[in-house]
Amino acid sequence: MRVGNLRRAVLAEVEDINRLIYHVLRAGVVLSVSLILFGFILEAFGAGGLPTQSIPPRRLLSELLRFTPAGYVNLGILVLIFTPMARVLLSLLSFLEERDRTFAAITLVVLVNLLTSFFFLA
Amino acid sequence: MAAIEILVVLAVAAFLAGFGGSFLGIGGGVFLIPFMTLVLDIDIKIAIATSLIGVIATSSGAASVYVRDHLTNLRLAMFLEVATTFGAISGALLGLLVDERLLFLSFTAVVLSAAAIMVRTRETAKERAYRAGEEDPLAKRLALSSVYFDQEDQGVYRYRVERPVAGFAVSAAAGGFSGLLGVGGGFIKVPAMNILMRVPMKAAVATSNFMIGVTAAASAFIYYSAGFVEPSLAAMVIVGVFSGANIGTRLLVRAKAQRVRFVFAVFLAVLGILMGLRAFGSGVAL
Repeated sequence: MRVGNLRRAVLAEVEDINRLIYHVLRAGVVLSVSLILFGFILEAFGAGGLPTQSIPPRRLLSELLRFTPAGYVNLGILVLIFTPMARVLLSLLSFLEERDRTFAAITLVVLVNLLTSFFFLA
Repeated sequence: MAAIEILVVLAVAAFLAGFGGSFLGIGGGVFLIPFMTLVLDIDIKIAIATSLIGVIATSSGAASVYVRDHLTNLRLAMFLEVATTFGAISGALLGLLVDERLLFLSFTAVVLSAAAIMVRTRETAKERAYRAGEEDPLAKRLALSSVYFDQEDQGVYRYRVERPVAGFAVSAAAGGFSGLLGVGGGFIKVPAMNILMRVPMKAAVATSNFMIGVTAAASAFIYYSAGFVEPSLAAMVIVGVFSGANIGTRLLVRAKAQRVRFVFAVFLAVLGILMGLRAFGSGVAL
């Protein structure tokens, strides 16, 4: 496939915010499932037990570095929980680009709400 | 980690939830939670946490398609999400503290009311038609009114969004239920948009699907940090729901709006009754 065509195709997708949202949302789920699957595979290879409880983010990094199933399954779940936030961020950027200050403000409030609940995690 | 039979059954149930959810504009939580608590005997707070994850997956799966097909009203969704996220956080914090029976009871009350509301009115092409007269000032200011293409009759419908303030208030309540009960709130949002704000059914379904992901994410953070998310259950639900949603979306774009509403109402009624029975203590085996 020629680079020029590929580039044009990508740009077309990006310009249409709707298509971009489509890709971000789906990518979020696919990434989430992939991570979870990876965690299950690690478990099958005896790298540890499957998690029974959610892992707080502070401990998550060490679990990931040690390649425990628990770490990756939990990461996958967290990625999923973050997907809507990524989408809201995308909407914010889109409204800013359209110079729609009212909706940029509205979107910002939603984002702040999400971040507030996120701080319960930390 | 839960037994393998439970995981498989849950995955199948999740598939159905995703399928029905994407078709009806809900996350599937209203179906999954009763299923998990009544059939799989899972603790309700874990069921709620798992369901919230499922709702995010349904939302991402279904809404992605509807947004791409320009069925979703992005501005209306964003506007209402301010209310739902507020409600969701409050609801989640409350839900962690509240007694289980009260949860079942509230669930029943809300679901039955929504069912009753949905059966009452019909939606025809005439009712979907653009209304003459003054547009609501807030709706006008926020440019909430929009247009969508309906495959049922190959028509392009412009529609107005009416009573945005009332819709906002109801969305806050929907968010509250989401946090409290672990549902996406779609079963309130769809009637609120379709009946209260006069958004055509399919656009309402599409917009609701888009919103519930954000609403659920707000509560999901809180439940996750409280340790109620059981990862293997969540994993099954994500996969099941996403697969179901992929199929449900194809069905919705082709369906008759009236049929969608009818199915929705029936489903809610059945649900409400079952949850009501559970609230009053009788062990209902499905």
